Amino acid sequence: MDEIELVEKAKLGDTKAFEELMKRTQDKIYNLGIKFFGNKEDAADLLQETYIKAYESLPNFEGRSSFSTWLYRIATNFALMKLRKEKMKKVSIEELKELSDGSKDSIDFYDWSENPYLHYKNEELKEILNEAINSLPPKYKTIFILHDIEGLSIQEVAKILSLSVPTVKTRIHRSRLYLREKLSEYFKKKGN
Amino acid sequence: MDCREIMKYISDYIDRELEDALREVFEEHIRICRKCRTNLHSMEKTIFISKFIYKEEKIPKKVEETLYYRVRMRYKK
Repeated sequence: MDEIELVEKAKLGDTKAFEELMKRTQDKIYNLGIKFFGNKEDAADLLQETYIKAYESLPNFEGRSSFSTWLYRIATNFALMKLRKEKMKKVSIEELKELSDGSKDSIDFYDWSENPYLHYKNEELKEILNEAINSLPPKYKTIFILHDIEGLSIQEVAKILSLSVPTVKTRIHRSRLYLREKLSEYFKKKGN
Repeated sequence: MDCREIMKYISDYIDRELEDALREVFEEHIRICRKCRTNLHSMEKTIFISKFIYKEEKIPKKVEETLYYRVRMRYKK
């Protein structure tokens, strides 16, 4: 049975249909939680809150987006609220703005493209990047994860977060510049 | 288009959001400017590495049980 049929049945009170929708999407939502929070406990919370909210809001779901996009929206809003509460803002927005405006540092970039430590199996490098992602302000972090890691299009991210496309683009660009800068610091320490 | 402008369009280029004419100008600049080429490649590599940070995990059995228990409690309300 396809997703649209399952949603229609679930809206009519068919709990088996709702649970089938859960089964099809739960791993994705759980893993999204791990990416947002970096731990399994908060990911489990996000998972539960997302489906409880989805079940309660199902009568209002109009099917203008896919069911999974709608779930992403619920999950991301929950994550944003929680991340903001936890005050994970380790980097000021000003700092990101500074990195984003085409400043000299961004253009005269330290070249690490041939560095031997640049490899996707380098665990230390991944840890540095993971820490950097976690230090992004929530509104940047969520967008970077949805777009660059989950692979959602800019338009989908804009819809999920009720933001304009230019805003999403700007935040993605700033996030990337910031993360790249963190990798540059790592490679400078390592030397070429 | 100078290097500063190229810098502004790097993400749009990576995301294939540049219109054809602008993309051609961008690619021509990248071809002749080593600095901007390095800039572009480092940005692409940052994104590439970030895709390998997380390993997809299965939901632990206990977490799944709690999830279904909590959702089913809602059916009764």
